[in-house]
Amino acid sequence: MPVAILIILLLVYAAFRRVNIFQAFCEGAAQAIPLMKTILPTLAVFSAAMAVFRASGAFDLLSSFLSPALNVLGVDPALVPLLVVRPFSGSAALAALSDIFTQYGPDSRTGLTASVLLGSSETVFYTLALYFGSVGIKKTRFAVPAALLSLFTSVVTGLLLSSLFFD
Amino acid sequence: MNIVILFLLLAGIGVSLLSGTADGVLAALQSGASDAINTVLRLSGAYLIWMGLLNIAEKAGLIRTLSRLLSPALSLLFPNAGKAKEAISLNLAANMLGMGNAATPYGLRAMRLLNESNPHPGVATNEMCTLLVVNASCLELFPATLVGLRASCGSVRPLAVVVPTLLSSFAATLVAVMLCLTFTRQCRSRS
Repeated sequence: MPVAILIILLLVYAAFRRVNIFQAFCEGAAQAIPLMKTILPTLAVFSAAMAVFRASGAFDLLSSFLSPALNVLGVDPALVPLLVVRPFSGSAALAALSDIFTQYGPDSRTGLTASVLLGSSETVFYTLALYFGSVGIKKTRFAVPAALLSLFTSVVTGLLLSSLFFD
Repeated sequence: MNIVILFLLLAGIGVSLLSGTADGVLAALQSGASDAINTVLRLSGAYLIWMGLLNIAEKAGLIRTLSRLLSPALSLLFPNAGKAKEAISLNLAANMLGMGNAATPYGLRAMRLLNESNPHPGVATNEMCTLLVVNASCLELFPATLVGLRASCGSVRPLAVVVPTLLSSFAATLVAVMLCLTFTRQCRSRS
């Protein structure tokens, strides 16, 4: 419902501003194809590695090893792969999320929490490498600790809000 | 990322060898990789529709409008941005609208312009750090990819996550902004 209203407003506003809606839509949608091409290899490597990791039983071993510590923190072990890859690669995080959706379902508690965690965080290290790398910055000063603290905040509030909204 | 993949593969293949299920390794790898195609196909609807709609929004001048709305807040966050200010505000506006692809070129341009007036090349200025931190915690007004993936994976409530997601990313952005203000203030009072 709110999305439908948003789309209507956008279309009316754009028509009012004399935008060629059909042409603009097609131009935008065309950019989706290179994007999908770019993310596919990362998705494939991560999904393949994750599939072996799960099928072999290594995932169960790791989660039973981590679960005492994670239970204290109230973190579902199924969220660990997502949390680990999130700061490095957006595509791998999408693969991890989609893996969680297949295993547990998008409307399970795990699926809902994973969605919030992915949606509220960013690929911190990738952004860092891209932006500072582009101008040859070696000394990053407060950027790394501040970015990591902000990431940490999004994880903590994401977990807290999930238990508030979904339990 | 390299280490993560290596760990997953070594541990996965290692455990299969130990438990005598090594014959299943290739099948698991291949089914995992073809799952990736399924994920891309599931995302394709969200990508095509949102990138189309967002391009309409851009053509209608929505990024410019939003970046104008942001500009008072930006003067506070980036007092010495100089001529990079426009690129910064366009970068943040595009990020807020969920247009990561449109945001990156503006962000890189802003970095380049900031670097031109950098007295110590190789050392990040306050403005550069702040731009990076805000980008690394960016507030998105509507998580379109996420909702799209949920819907195409059969969720009956794809939108159920929107409010907690926005609140949580708002908290992260707030922390990022406060930290940047604290650090830059400290540096200025010291110099």
